[in-house]
Amino acid sequence: MPGKHVAGAPDEPCRRCKDKISVLVVRSEPLCHECFARYVHTKCIKRLESFRVNFGAPEQQRRILVPLSFGVSSVTLLHILDLHLKTQKSKTGRTGFAISVLYIEEPDQPLEAEELLHKARKQDPDHQYASLPLHDVFRLIPDDASIRNLVPQLEHTNDSSPQEQLARLIDSLTSATARADVLTTLRTRLIVEHAKLAGCDSILWGDSTTRLAQRTLAETAKGRGFSLPWQVSDGESPFGINFHYPLRDVLKKELISYISMSEPGLAALVHETSSGVTQASTSSKNTTIDDLMKQYFESVEENFPSIVANVVRTTSKFEVRPGAASDPRCSLCSMPVPGGRFGIHGWGGDQEDGDNISSVKPTRNICYGCTRSIPKLATNTNGN
Amino acid sequence: MAPSPCALCKVNRALILRPKDHSKLCKTCFIIVFETEIHHTITTNVLFTRGERVAIGASGGKDSTVLASVLKTLNERYDYGLDLILLSIDEGIKGYRDDSLETVKRNAEQYGMELTILGYEELYGWTMDQVVEQVGKKGNCTYCGVFRRQALDRGASRLGVKHVVTGHNADDIAETVLMNLLRGDLPRLSRTTSIITSTPSVSADPLSNTNIKRSKPLKYAYEKEIVLYAHHKNLDYFSTECIYSPEAFRGSARALIKNLERVRPSAILDVVRSGEDMVKLVPGSDEGCGGVCSSSVPAAEENEGGCGSAQGRSTGGEMATVEAQLRHNEIAAADSLETEITAKSVNGKGNGNGKQPGQHESGTVILSNDKKAKKGFVPKKANKQVMGQCKKCGYLSSQEVCKACVLLEGLNKARPKNKIEVGDEVQDVSLNSVRDEMQATSIGGA
Repeated sequence: MPGKHVAGAPDEPCRRCKDKISVLVVRSEPLCHECFARYVHTKCIKRLESFRVNFGAPEQQRRILVPLSFGVSSVTLLHILDLHLKTQKSKTGRTGFAISVLYIEEPDQPLEAEELLHKARKQDPDHQYASLPLHDVFRLIPDDASIRNLVPQLEHTNDSSPQEQLARLIDSLTSATARADVLTTLRTRLIVEHAKLAGCDSILWGDSTTRLAQRTLAETAKGRGFSLPWQVSDGESPFGINFHYPLRDVLKKELISYISMSEPGLAALVHETSSGVTQASTSSKNTTIDDLMKQYFESVEENFPSIVANVVRTTSKFEVRPGAASDPRCSLCSMPVPGGRFGIHGWGGDQEDGDNISSVKPTRNICYGCTRSIPKLATNTNGN
Repeated sequence: MAPSPCALCKVNRALILRPKDHSKLCKTCFIIVFETEIHHTITTNVLFTRGERVAIGASGGKDSTVLASVLKTLNERYDYGLDLILLSIDEGIKGYRDDSLETVKRNAEQYGMELTILGYEELYGWTMDQVVEQVGKKGNCTYCGVFRRQALDRGASRLGVKHVVTGHNADDIAETVLMNLLRGDLPRLSRTTSIITSTPSVSADPLSNTNIKRSKPLKYAYEKEIVLYAHHKNLDYFSTECIYSPEAFRGSARALIKNLERVRPSAILDVVRSGEDMVKLVPGSDEGCGGVCSSSVPAAEENEGGCGSAQGRSTGGEMATVEAQLRHNEIAAADSLETEITAKSVNGKGNGNGKQPGQHESGTVILSNDKKAKKGFVPKKANKQVMGQCKKCGYLSSQEVCKACVLLEGLNKARPKNKIEVGDEVQDVSLNSVRDEMQATSIGGA
């Protein structure tokens, strides 16, 4: 095909309905507004097979959790799920599931949680909405000892507030990459805990194809290749709750188009922290590995969308090792670590000689990737 | 800024910011640490046995020059008892290899090592210049790449050497891990991350060139440190940097690795670690055997085309080609037109051997020069390649006849007569030619 049309107005009829004028080109197909919306809906709903109306047990309503960040993807997901429920209701008088929505308030994030949730509630009033501060992770995780051990302790106090603990943990990290990594990990764990407490059997994440590809390479770069089978796959997660990524077949740029063409009420919900194309940070000090991968896939997505999709498809082919369920878990990210090989020592690329290792014997059970982010306990601040 | 003392000896002034972990070291300590780490790699992986004769694949570039220098030093310091020799391959391209071969000759003198230079002419009966004359400029990179892959092994077996070491470094491995994720090639991902590759059980014939063991002592060494080491030891090497097309997969992965290294110095090592862990997650992998099991995919694989230095030029549209193929497959899948034009027809030949079909039948994206290359995309399982021997030359091959022999047959057939068959054969090759210039450039693949 000679060149692509810009996503403007190609002036061609829609390839699908052959009737209306197309408004954008989606994977080399010019589509009209309606057909594009249907395209996005279909891709998402196709992934929801297991959430059909259960006529066998009508009194048992399944509950799922949708983490809402007010980004393009999670807003779109919630909207499509809402439409889907309405369709189910109109067709059968019932729904296949009920939705709990959770927003996580990050430290230093100026988003007005209350106001946003209020708007979201107005848009889709039928769901349960909740908002939790990230430091609640220290309150909610039941065996909080292990995760709390990672927080550098002050000399005598042991009973500081979760808020202080989070601040102290984040302050102890020495790079932007480490901070972003740990925050993401804590967010996931808090979402999981909340989902369990709210009686949800599944979490439906808003991640697009692009985002999943990005995560694949970012986790690889952070030394978490071992955890890839759980990073992008639908189904059982190591957290004892199911993970689903219904937008896994939709590209980020398609979701952006979707929102931009949607009713104003929906677009008004979106509060992307970084709008549009991710800027290359001028200083590598503030750049994170996640940022790098985000930039990278935003550019690959532009011209090579199928390559992005192929990364995700390839990653989904990784198989969970038999017996992984009984492997010891990382205290931070909670991923099963093969053979309990915690820390960054004891493999081929570890160049420390044997005598050195015993002295650095891990006192904490955290995986290779988490150890890179939290290299040393605060008491031992030799650079790494 | 006040000069800080070396973090190790605490005496000398630190002059080197170590790329791997940003520790501040003096020159002497850096050199010692660099060498000790390679010693550590060699001993923990038991790369060598006493009395072994080991050929260093030498191109005159920084990696192989540093490898030769370090191995000589360590062999003396720790008394490995190795008989080290240099082995260089001359593709027979006038004016291209001359300088680097001169460098290798000087290295041989400097290190007191025996040097053998083997030409494509001696190994295959054809220099690259002659090949180009025969097939034209287009597509000749396939020949060069396929020939080169086998050249080190063939050369080694001529010399009666059972072990070839190559200069692949951590950056190379990390790049390959990302690249194979990007193009969805799980079988190759498994293969390129292991430090030793060999297939001991394929043939009992001691003269067979399938019994060559390959290893990468610099697997965990950073490229930047290799350059620093060469610089501070005043090593004599020749810069033959390949110009990768920014569009190609490896170029893309390379840029990514460089950026990652800037953001977090350990990232290169971390990607290598991820790569090693991911191998165990590839369906049907031989967990933990390090690629040495007889059933695992072998050291040198012949179905990769392309030549390192020509890579940039010949594959400018590599990603675009793959994108087009993938999209085609997606459309086919969406229309339920799934299809016999897929892997089966490609693998047909392998079946005659009683081997499983399944080479690359795995959602692997076949990167091909040939636009006609038909590759189905029906990923279910990442099958591994089943290796046998080429019935002509005895070289490892997943096909009945290895790529080099197929190519040679085409060339030789055409020599007296017209080039009737060449077109077909070329196409045949490029069907399977996933290029991987790390293996192509190198004197030898993983």
